[in-house]
Amino acid sequence: MITNQLALIRREIWEHRSIYVTPMVIAIIVTLGVFAMLIFASGFAAELDAVIFGATNIAGETERKAALTGFFLGTSWVFLIALAVLTVFYCLDSLYAERKDKSILFWRSMPVTDAETVISKLITALLVIPMAAIIGIIATHLVNLVVTSVWVSMKGGDASLLIWGSVSLLDNWLAAVIVILTTGIWMSPFIGWFLFVSAYTKRSPLLMAFMPLVLIALLEKIILRTHIFAQYVLGRADEMPLIRTENVERFFDEEQWRIAEGATSLLVHLDIVQFLTSPATWAGIIVCGLLSTAAIYVRRYRDES
Amino acid sequence: MTSLVSAKGVSKYFGAVHAVDNVSFEIEKGRILGLIGPNGAGKTTLLKALLGLTDCEGQLSVLGLDPFKQRKEMMQNICFIADVAVLPRWIKVTQLLDYVEAIHPNFSRKHAEEHLAKTKIRSGSKVRELSKGMVAQLHLSIIMSIDAKLLVLDEPTLGLDIIFRKEFYANLLNDYFDEERTILITTHQVEEIENLLTDVMFIDDGKILLDSPMDALSGTYVEVLASGEGASKARELGPIAENEMFGKSIMLFEGVSREQLEGFGELRTPAIADLFVAMVKRARQ
Repeated sequence: MITNQLALIRREIWEHRSIYVTPMVIAIIVTLGVFAMLIFASGFAAELDAVIFGATNIAGETERKAALTGFFLGTSWVFLIALAVLTVFYCLDSLYAERKDKSILFWRSMPVTDAETVISKLITALLVIPMAAIIGIIATHLVNLVVTSVWVSMKGGDASLLIWGSVSLLDNWLAAVIVILTTGIWMSPFIGWFLFVSAYTKRSPLLMAFMPLVLIALLEKIILRTHIFAQYVLGRADEMPLIRTENVERFFDEEQWRIAEGATSLLVHLDIVQFLTSPATWAGIIVCGLLSTAAIYVRRYRDES
Repeated sequence: MTSLVSAKGVSKYFGAVHAVDNVSFEIEKGRILGLIGPNGAGKTTLLKALLGLTDCEGQLSVLGLDPFKQRKEMMQNICFIADVAVLPRWIKVTQLLDYVEAIHPNFSRKHAEEHLAKTKIRSGSKVRELSKGMVAQLHLSIIMSIDAKLLVLDEPTLGLDIIFRKEFYANLLNDYFDEERTILITTHQVEEIENLLTDVMFIDDGKILLDSPMDALSGTYVEVLASGEGASKARELGPIAENEMFGKSIMLFEGVSREQLEGFGELRTPAIADLFVAMVKRARQ
């Protein structure tokens, strides 16, 4: 069972190279961006020090931490968005492409059950793609901190203190791991829905996945004049019970136009207990399970001839 | 007698269409059975039922297992090639071997690599870079490296040129087949597999028209090439089919002994294709 799963997941990565290519491309773009910024900033070193990773003592410690945390948050956010898009396309393709190119007959000639196959795709969406994004985030941070350290040292600053000593790397990475994994779980009903559409539809999975969602929301608005579906299903991403709401205001100090002091560790904003005890989290997991089961049944019972 | 496959009253309906209609047969170990039928006869549906890819009515047992309910267990001892185009186009040859090696308990990678070394297929190539014939060779190399009890081939050489087709069947017979294995094969190019079959089954309109060992055919079916008076006399014995060729009548008899037909003309055992056409025509009348 486990060796089968590993072989099936490896197969998914072979087929969908974008799972590891996308994080690599983002990491390269971010690094090039930082390079460009450092070179640009070199011309005005004194004035811009405060904004970019604080190389001198003009800016205070909090600003420096805030700038680094902002960089952490920004890059992680880019990865999270890319991951979301990647997951949508991966899921929609995963049970559709094999029918389109007829390779399903080859896959089904092997001693593997349909349940094992669909589970391997679910694991890829919920674990493998997030892990690729997490590795991308950590690698991007490390590379860029090293680059910035070199720059700071060249300017005569103490990189170990100014860069490495000013933020808790592990705290922020742990926060990234938690946010990315829980986002996958929170959005898992959509993953289940996309897998089901991918197994079921005869054409254009993207359209078939989104059209019903939009139609239901529209019909509800027209007929019932309510927007429950739009709010709780389409708007599910905004309802995630992971962020400590009381902390959000503290995060950004609008008066000072900077990230608030005491908010430089991203971990303090997360409440994993609140997430795990929320009924909405578990309702989502159940919906994902039901839709994935439906995908298994469709793959098993539909006659492809 | 060891029945590898046993079907009793197997049917599969698509709405009002009877794709497979109350079919019963047995396949014994160590046989090569040709399943012959026109397009839409129910061949593929029957194979799908055997492979557990579709459910059906009636009793069907393959290797003592229920194909639909115990598919994973069954597939450890069954291989099939459904069509030459089914290997995924994005996969590399090495990846394909890695995958089958990890998934299939009866696969010998060494055997597959030895077989592939004899071809022009490079291990770093992707399937999409290979010609149609090479894809078939690759698929066959994998299938022949799996120690399976039953091999099912559904039009395995469709779209391949004659050289590949001959090679395909030669490989199958020389490197693969032995008394422990059983092969079930369907094809339109009957004449190419005729002399490798041990058994033949005709299917049309979801029903079995003939199910016989090859060596029993010559006792039951005789073809007479006759003209003039010989032809008239032979015709009185009630041929199941008659054709004209070069001014001679070719008559096909069922259950008429060679002794009775002696002297009317030249006697021979009919080709499978001719026998098939005759039986389908008769069944449709």
